[in-house]
Amino acid sequence: MHTVAVLLDDGLATLNRAVGVLRRRNVPVEGLALHPSGTAGVSRMTFVLKADAVTAERVAQQFQKMIGVRSVMVLGGEDSTTEARR
Amino acid sequence: MSEKLSGAEILCRGLVDAGVEVIFGYPGGAIMPFYHALPEHPRLRHILVRHEQAAAHAADGYARASGRVGVCVATSGPGATNLVTGLAAAHMDSSPVVAITGQVSRPMMGRDAFQETDIIGITMPITKHSYLVQDAAELADVVAEAMTVAAEGRPGPVLVDVPKDVQNQKVEWHGTPAPRTGTRGRALGSIEDGVRAAARLIKGAERPLLMVGHGAILAGAYAEVRALAEKTGIPVITTLLGISAFPDGHPLHLGMPGMHGEVHVNRAIQNADVIIGIGLRFDDRVTGNTASFARQARIVHIDLDRAEIGKNVPAAVGIVGDARDVTRRLLAAVEPRRCDRWLEHIRSFARPGPASYRGELSPEAILASICDASGGACTIVSDVGQHQMWVAKLFPYRHPNTHITSGGLGAMGFAVPAAMGVHLARPGDTVWAISGDGGFQMNMAEIATMVQERLPVKLAVFNNGYLGMVRQWQQFFHEKRYSCTPIWSPDYVKLAEAYGIPGYRVKDAAELADTVGRANAQPGPALVEFVIEQEANVFPMIPPGGSLSEPIESAPVVGAAGD
Ligand SMILES: Cc1ncc(C[n+]2csc(CCOP(=O)(O)OP(=O)(O)O)c2C)c(N)n1
Ligand SMILES: [Mg+2]
Repeated sequence: MHTVAVLLDDGLATLNRAVGVLRRRNVPVEGLALHPSGTAGVSRMTFVLKADAVTAERVAQQFQKMIGVRSVMVLGGEDSTTEARR
Repeated sequence: MSEKLSGAEILCRGLVDAGVEVIFGYPGGAIMPFYHALPEHPRLRHILVRHEQAAAHAADGYARASGRVGVCVATSGPGATNLVTGLAAAHMDSSPVVAITGQVSRPMMGRDAFQETDIIGITMPITKHSYLVQDAAELADVVAEAMTVAAEGRPGPVLVDVPKDVQNQKVEWHGTPAPRTGTRGRALGSIEDGVRAAARLIKGAERPLLMVGHGAILAGAYAEVRALAEKTGIPVITTLLGISAFPDGHPLHLGMPGMHGEVHVNRAIQNADVIIGIGLRFDDRVTGNTASFARQARIVHIDLDRAEIGKNVPAAVGIVGDARDVTRRLLAAVEPRRCDRWLEHIRSFARPGPASYRGELSPEAILASICDASGGACTIVSDVGQHQMWVAKLFPYRHPNTHITSGGLGAMGFAVPAAMGVHLARPGDTVWAISGDGGFQMNMAEIATMVQERLPVKLAVFNNGYLGMVRQWQQFFHEKRYSCTPIWSPDYVKLAEAYGIPGYRVKDAAELADTVGRANAQPGPALVEFVIEQEANVFPMIPPGGSLSEPIESAPVVGAAGD
């Protein structure tokens, strides 16, 4: 399980494109959240992915290429959720 | 200074100010305001195609040949959906194209209005970016930004969808904004580290290879790649889209790798200890089975797109940067050396070409006649299939960027319309579009465009009576069951006549020089049909998913092949 947090411009097309990045690469999504980022016109999208570190990093790089994406962060791999499941 | 202008007028001015000179398009209801404004801008030459797919391929061909953005225009609904294949081809091969589509008026959107399609939704995975323009006041910025986004970094297609009422909307216009530049520049601090690491690997390598792809052509890195090869003596492999990035016939040039690569090229890869990849993405047609690809090699991967590095093959050193810039730095960092023993070793892998072709009218002979007729100085645009592989492997490309083909998408029907774009980008050069009988029939309606718009493209049709490449797979992997691959053709000489252009048929090698010479010398478009052997195969061949080490070099006995 890996979490990828994306800061991106508001707008339905941007949202659609961001989800499309995962759909096209067939990366399963465990959790998905959209929040205002605090900066006007910018949202924060958080994806919890059922993916290993390499895949999460690859997805992050694809996000990075998207016009409208401000920043991308891959958050910890072995997070508490994964630990608890074991 | 400001004045009130319609969205359509702003669109036209934006294109003119961006330096656009040619637009490939087709009108319709939702784009009519744009077409109404267009005649006021004689600098924008409009080429009326016969199908919007051709507009997109032609814009792509123009972009590849000129290095500038190619522009196509279509109406909403069917016009826009007809662009899709062309945009996908441009996307796969990183070609800078801007597509402008009309859309139904804003109040009608989302109501399944007449000729409404969600073209942004449809094209999202095959565009670099897209814009739905909701207000004419945004248009000037959007056009300028779209042109920049298409061209900057790794190029690609961008779609601008403009509702009809936005085209008619009048707004204050304050001039075209200054071109946006370098908005998505990346910290490139690690280039120097990468270059040093690469130079160290080259120094220690016994069996190094340069693999050069489309990125080298997009960056115009010809001189740098050549200088790097000559300084180090490292043999050079050019991928399908890298062909003509390095001169054919150069003693260090090995040829094309992959599925239809020569045996010695693939064996060189399998034996290499260091591979320097410049502007390629190691796609599956190049690598075969990645698990067995270049197992002894440490790979230095140079690409502008960070997401490519490590995507298909693991990179020992990844360098994110422009192929020309990085190659120049690498050239400065490497010590002169030679690779004579290794070259000799590779030469020992070479085999006499398998007798893939019987008879006199061979692909070699045909391509040699085209080369002779044009003095070796033409641009070849190929379609998709067996002839594409022959054209890739057998034509001697001496000049940079003179081989253009749809590599990533492999879109049949590409050659004829793309060649129109190539001609407009290089009006002084001879352009030959070489197609199979299948692919030619997909877009042969564009002969009418060539006649109407005076585009003197030379058309070659390799007529084998089959969808040859599929037939070859059927022969090798499907028990020789030629299901739905025999394909009938019209009389191409009469077809040419119907369009009012010279048409020729060549059945015998003895006629080649004369006929091809005459077609080449025509001031306008001309068509030559080559009636070639029906069941010739392209050898060698790595079966799909197979290892580069195990080429097929002759047709398998019928029934013996697996899947
Ligand atoms: C638009 C499209 N449809 C189908 C294919 C699959 N395909 C690849 S090669 C080929 C045969 C091409 O036949 P032809 O144009 O006659 O060329 P040849 O192989 O005979 O030289 C086909 C059908 C394709 N690449 N593109
Ligand atoms: Mg054919």
